[in-house]
Amino acid sequence: MREVLRNMFRRKTRTVLTIFGITIGIFAFTVMGSMAEKINLLVSGGTKYYADKVTVSGSDSLFLTAPLDIHKKPQIAKVEGVTAVSATVYTSLSEKFDAVSFGPPASIVGSEVEIEKRFETFKITYSSGRELNADDQGKVVVGSDLVKKLGAKVGSPVKVRGQDYEVVGIMNKTLTAPDNTVAMILADAQKIYYGELPEIVRASSRPEAVVNGFTVYVKEGVDPNQLAEKINNEVPDVVANGPKAFQDQIASATAIFNSILFGVALISLVVGGLSVINTMTMSISERTREIGIKKAIGAKTHHIMGEYLTEAAFIGLFGGLLGWGLGALTVTAINAATEESGNVIFLLSPRISIFAIAFAVILGVIAGFYPAYHAVKINIVKALREQ
Amino acid sequence: MAKNDTILKLDNVMKIYILGGRKNAKKAQKAIQKLQSRHQKLSAKGQNALAVQLEQTLKQAQLLFAQEKYEDSYRVVTDKTLKKRRDRGAVVHALNGVSLDIEAGDLIAIMGPSGSGKTTLLNMLGLLDQPTAGQIFLKSQNVGLIKRRHLPEIRSKELGFVFQSFNLVPTLTALENAMLPLKYSGVHMAKRRQMAKEALVQVGLGDRLNHRSNELSGGQQQRVAIARSVVNSPSIVFGDELTGELDSKMTADVMSLVKKLNRKGQTFVIVTHNPEVAKVCRRIIYMKDGRIEREVKK
Repeated sequence: MREVLRNMFRRKTRTVLTIFGITIGIFAFTVMGSMAEKINLLVSGGTKYYADKVTVSGSDSLFLTAPLDIHKKPQIAKVEGVTAVSATVYTSLSEKFDAVSFGPPASIVGSEVEIEKRFETFKITYSSGRELNADDQGKVVVGSDLVKKLGAKVGSPVKVRGQDYEVVGIMNKTLTAPDNTVAMILADAQKIYYGELPEIVRASSRPEAVVNGFTVYVKEGVDPNQLAEKINNEVPDVVANGPKAFQDQIASATAIFNSILFGVALISLVVGGLSVINTMTMSISERTREIGIKKAIGAKTHHIMGEYLTEAAFIGLFGGLLGWGLGALTVTAINAATEESGNVIFLLSPRISIFAIAFAVILGVIAGFYPAYHAVKINIVKALREQ
Repeated sequence: MAKNDTILKLDNVMKIYILGGRKNAKKAQKAIQKLQSRHQKLSAKGQNALAVQLEQTLKQAQLLFAQEKYEDSYRVVTDKTLKKRRDRGAVVHALNGVSLDIEAGDLIAIMGPSGSGKTTLLNMLGLLDQPTAGQIFLKSQNVGLIKRRHLPEIRSKELGFVFQSFNLVPTLTALENAMLPLKYSGVHMAKRRQMAKEALVQVGLGDRLNHRSNELSGGQQQRVAIARSVVNSPSIVFGDELTGELDSKMTADVMSLVKKLNRKGQTFVIVTHNPEVAKVCRRIIYMKDGRIEREVKK
């Protein structure tokens, strides 16, 4: 072990530069991986949420907020295969939608809580306080990522769109959209949403008649995608989406992101690997006579191979640890800076950490294999002639 | 049948012990004693056929044991056809028919002009290189028949090497350098450390255990190399110009150490250009054009 470390740092600059090459790769991998991890969790939460229901809105997008008349609700409820319909209002927490946002922006969600309590399968737990009740006017529950931003505490008021609401509960982390949400009863959300609408729309409507979506709960055995199609056919001026729409619009985007991550890993593999090969080949050619002496006094193939592979693995390990450390620092610093705004970008999970370091070590070993094999094949007599 | 098996097994055990090196001498003696007592029992029981078979085995074993002078012997014998051919444009015979018999306790100098085949011979005797023709026998065993993958083990257990220069691993301390052959022959760490320490004390470097090669003089480095070469109590130590880069005082110093170890029974074969080194040796073999030209015995 000590010998390996001493050998590694015979040529300090060269080894440090090689380690630094791997560091950069693993740093990029850690940061990108943490971002991908966050996105994947958001998407996986979304996939779970949308898996057994149909969402109805007034436009093609899942997240646009075109107003809908609440009287659409009985029409949707009449469609064969529908169990229940909950009217929802979904709008931005700030006056304007955040220009820069990672995942769904910080939002206000209002819904018919009693219906959701009965039919919603995506269960949320609370770190303090309780869930909303239908009569909780002027009260909210706050997602975990918004606690700091709003200074939320159960029993205390928080300002939402300039108005005070009493916090009755704080959600546990779901690692998906609700973390960035303030939930309230439908009537409260409708008032906020109504205030956002253009004068001309407001003139022809009332706050309690305006929503911007419906969550449709599906009867057992009914395919939500087929039901969405049915709603589109039978109810005019609405767009119903089943789980497939979410998959098409969002989940496929993560595949692209994962490909980018794979690309980063591949580049770090090539760059880091080549520099390890270069360093190890150089050091083996400098140590030819030494290898000859070791072989002459009885070193077997596995001794020589083991020595150089261990050295390469250590270069990978140091590079990996350093890259991971820098990546973890960066991720933590950015998360801390953006936590205030409720916009947490990274999730450095244990699997990303373990994978990053293991990847660096394996990379070192694989890259070290060729030079180590070359060392094993060195002819003793020729090696001993080297000066 | 079972008894025959036992006899054959004993026969094999004997062969293994006889070929296994002097560290097994005690085991070999015990095996011979076992054979003797078994022979007596068989004779007493009147099992003549088996007794005769066992007697033959016993005689063979005793003969081998006596021939090998087991307590201190490790013979290297090369036959007259030993050759090494090198293709350097034209065919060159680095060795061209060398016959040499190295006895236990020998202190041999191999001399001769550059290109005479000294180092080539040393490399082949030390199992570092293979002859193109001819055979080398280590303790009656034909080296050519030993699988190549077993050679490192024989080198680490039975042979020691001291080279001219850059002989030590620079990143290791004197103690760690001396421990290397023991590491390669699988000796446990604690024992390794103790044996290497003893070897370094033996060569007068007990106070330099943790010095690296750049902290030692040339003579001290060669002493460490000698300690490393004898740490495993090898049968033969091969030295290739081991004083080549030393001044006359250091040369005398190193050679007096070699002589001291030889007096204790350590066999040395040293390739040298230096007549002062050869003077210390009991046998001086002069080589020319890949052949042994003459030999001087003191």
